[in-house]
Amino acid sequence: MAPPAATPVTTRRSWLTVAWTLMRLSAILLVPLVWIHVVIQDMLVGVHRINLEYVAMRWASLGWRIYDAGLLCFAFAHGTNGLRQVLEDYIHGRRARRVIRVLLFCFWLGITALGAAAVIGGVGS
Amino acid sequence: MQSLAKFAHASTHYRPRDGMIAFLLHRISGLAVLFFLSIHIIDTAMVYFHPSGYEDFLAVYRSPYFMLAEIALVAGVIYHGLNGFRIALFDLVLPSAWTIDRERLSVRLTILLAFILWLPAGVIMGGNFIGYTFLGW
Repeated sequence: MAPPAATPVTTRRSWLTVAWTLMRLSAILLVPLVWIHVVIQDMLVGVHRINLEYVAMRWASLGWRIYDAGLLCFAFAHGTNGLRQVLEDYIHGRRARRVIRVLLFCFWLGITALGAAAVIGGVGS
Repeated sequence: MQSLAKFAHASTHYRPRDGMIAFLLHRISGLAVLFFLSIHIIDTAMVYFHPSGYEDFLAVYRSPYFMLAEIALVAGVIYHGLNGFRIALFDLVLPSAWTIDRERLSVRLTILLAFILWLPAGVIMGGNFIGYTFLGW
């Protein structure tokens, strides 16, 4: 007997599907973005030569500020959503998941706001 | 107590294969990188909010312990990036590549390539570690 024909079903794209796709798209973007950052700051310059003047010099160019803003936006959002995925592997209750999603959103928003203030404000006095 | 013993037994007797090793490394490196990234955004924010606090963070980053942790961090960044790229490529472009054989081959290539890319980083940062810790640079 032939198997029954597959019935195509249409499902609504939930935000979880969007998050799944964005994790992969941001991954492709983050590989060059983060690796270049690591090669320059950790290897070519090194933490012993980084100080306030160095940051001021870097941020004197708008291009590096935009670069750092891109890192802040994509890397931290990717990481926070990754943490949500890890936690939801172990936490299954509807209420508990809602609580961790709200907490993680606040965590992401707070830290991103701090970083954004620095990237926009520059070196303080 | 019995479940703990069961867990310990399973953890030591279950031998993960390539795909699970890739998954575990991805998870551990991702959590470690996120942990540092959170701290790193806060230390950078110090530049604006409290510049002398930034110098305090730098003093910690220049300690020998942190320099070693930094070498491990770079290994995590390289592996997580490569493996994440592999996952994105398979999921978005080549879903037919999700077979056990190709998974095993691609995982082994990913780990090998991550190690090769990490070597120069390890040499440079290891050299800095030795120089600043023992040679008084």
